[in-house]
Amino acid sequence: MSVLHDLCGKIFRIGATHGSLLLRLALLLFILWSLQPPRVLVVVGPPQEVRTTNPLVGVHTRLTDEVEEWKIQRTLQMVREMGAPWIVEFFPWAYIEPRPGQFDWAHADMVIRHARAQGLTVIARLGFVPEWARPEDTTFNYIDPEFYDEFAAFVAAFLTHYRGEVNHVIIWNEPNLSLEWGYRPVDPAAYTEMLRVVYPAAHAANPDAVVLAGALAPTLEPPGSPAGLNDLDYLEGMYAAGAAPYFDALAVHAYGTNFPPEAEPAPDVINFRRTELLRAIMEAHGDGHKPVYITEGGWNDHPRWARAVRPAQRVAYTIGAYEWARQNWPWCRAVAFWAFRYPAPLHNFQDYSTFVTPDFHPKPIYLAVQEYTGNGGMTE
Amino acid sequence: MSRQNPRLSAFIRVPFSAPRFLPLAPRLLPLTPRSLPLASCLLLLASCLLLLSACSPADRLDRILETGVLRVGMDASYPPFEYIDGEGNLVGLDVDLGRELAARLGVEARFVANLSYDGLYDALTADVVDVVISALYVDPTRMADFAYSYSYFNAGQVLVVRTGTTDIRAMADLAGRTLAVEWGSEGDVVARQWARRLASLTVLPSGTAEEALARVASGEADAAVVDHLSALQAIGKGMPLRTVGEMLTDEPYAIAVRREDGALLRAVNGALTAMEEDGTLPRLRQSWLGGP
Repeated sequence: MSVLHDLCGKIFRIGATHGSLLLRLALLLFILWSLQPPRVLVVVGPPQEVRTTNPLVGVHTRLTDEVEEWKIQRTLQMVREMGAPWIVEFFPWAYIEPRPGQFDWAHADMVIRHARAQGLTVIARLGFVPEWARPEDTTFNYIDPEFYDEFAAFVAAFLTHYRGEVNHVIIWNEPNLSLEWGYRPVDPAAYTEMLRVVYPAAHAANPDAVVLAGALAPTLEPPGSPAGLNDLDYLEGMYAAGAAPYFDALAVHAYGTNFPPEAEPAPDVINFRRTELLRAIMEAHGDGHKPVYITEGGWNDHPRWARAVRPAQRVAYTIGAYEWARQNWPWCRAVAFWAFRYPAPLHNFQDYSTFVTPDFHPKPIYLAVQEYTGNGGMTE
Repeated sequence: MSRQNPRLSAFIRVPFSAPRFLPLAPRLLPLTPRSLPLASCLLLLASCLLLLSACSPADRLDRILETGVLRVGMDASYPPFEYIDGEGNLVGLDVDLGRELAARLGVEARFVANLSYDGLYDALTADVVDVVISALYVDPTRMADFAYSYSYFNAGQVLVVRTGTTDIRAMADLAGRTLAVEWGSEGDVVARQWARRLASLTVLPSGTAEEALARVASGEADAAVVDHLSALQAIGKGMPLRTVGEMLTDEPYAIAVRREDGALLRAVNGALTAMEEDGTLPRLRQSWLGGP
């Protein structure tokens, strides 16, 4: 008690000695506090519907690093106004379950809430291993088979949490690249084992779940390459390992590189219709009844990148690809191109893949797609 | 041991910013008898740090002067800045710039021209090259690891009119006019933004920048917004066009070095300043791009 009394006395004496200073400091803090801009009031608003002439049109959004709620809302509103009913969004496991069994859904909830309000169907890409589920000094794309159960539990928790709101989940991303497989040699059998563990857990959590496998990087890497394995051989490897019963649909990354959307596919060419080669493998293995979802793809118009096209070509090819899929691919459910918008400029070639600038200016490609889907003039 | 280079002294004299802060010191740190020891310590510490940074043994410039070789990295696939000509020679504005820079440092340029554009920064990090000169635009997200020289070319968007046109000096003069752009380009974005501000500005999308410029030359359009390089090249080919007004957007090309190579950066900046002042850089731009 006397200690407390002494402390109070000391504080009082300091206050008396430096009262003026403290008062000034308090005043300064008050002024700084009052100068901060008011928080933006975000109202979800009434449910909206996507109007479109092509129900396959979609985009991959990049909201993982978007902090401000009004920007998440504005992004998704602009997706709807472009006439795209589908979005693919990344929900990193490590962000949502930073400690075993402790979930933080706040940011994911915000994204899903606004996506639903805009009438969008979300395809959730799941991956990004938390530190507690991998050895030290490994990357967030590294996972050992003994942690497949934990990943499956996360997928199940995700589908349970968003039951009735999100059915589509992509299991991992581009496992045919070494960097996406924790900088280890890629292994279709190990990925298949992951699917075998995850698939029943996902369906137990949500019987309507659509488990998307693959999301393979379109690459020409030959067997034995340290960088990865081409998508065709990898998919064959998955089937050889018995993957067929453990996915409901194939996620495909369909990048056009320098070619127009109608360019013929070939095993040694990366173009939009390479999707048909993957489809042929599915059919050869009796999976012709399963649909395909394009969950990444499109063209880039960076002036320096060797695999880029001119801006006018990018616009025409993008619309041509949406239309090609609608007319020619009855097995295709969605064409979600990379990437709608970044939260901030990246100042590299990736800025040339977007539809909207970070400050929400619609690029000409956005306006052209909007016109194509019958929504011309909706966004000012 | 560094080789003595009389030309180098000119580069080392590039303005150094520290003295600018000195007048502020009395305000930040009132010199009373009690604070004098503290001030002395801080001054000593600052001097030591300054000396350490100036004498960093890792600085690339010492080694360049020692070996007599400046290793220049580039992706030789972007004419007219760097490319392989029909006879297999490495040519372009950046190639000549690299040679001139090396000459002014008193060393020889050795080109590492087979890098991919995506691998240019890695080549600096991995010590494969000393500088990157490759129509590289300044990337603020890279500045923790790399530093950029003064810009030697701005590749942003410009307004172009026919020669003889006197009543269009800026975008604001385009009300009621027709403006050609490359469909989907940055110039298209700029044009559409202005179309919302100006009464009856008609934007005419074209397949390429060259097509947009041809429409201006033929009189089909009153003006065009295209990238600076396309504009200069068209003018250089003799098309009856000229640029007017300020740059509409900025895309500065600069030379990149590793962040810790401060002395090298100062030397590069000194050389670029001298080349700008003595007309070397304008001559190179005129020769390769079609305009100064």
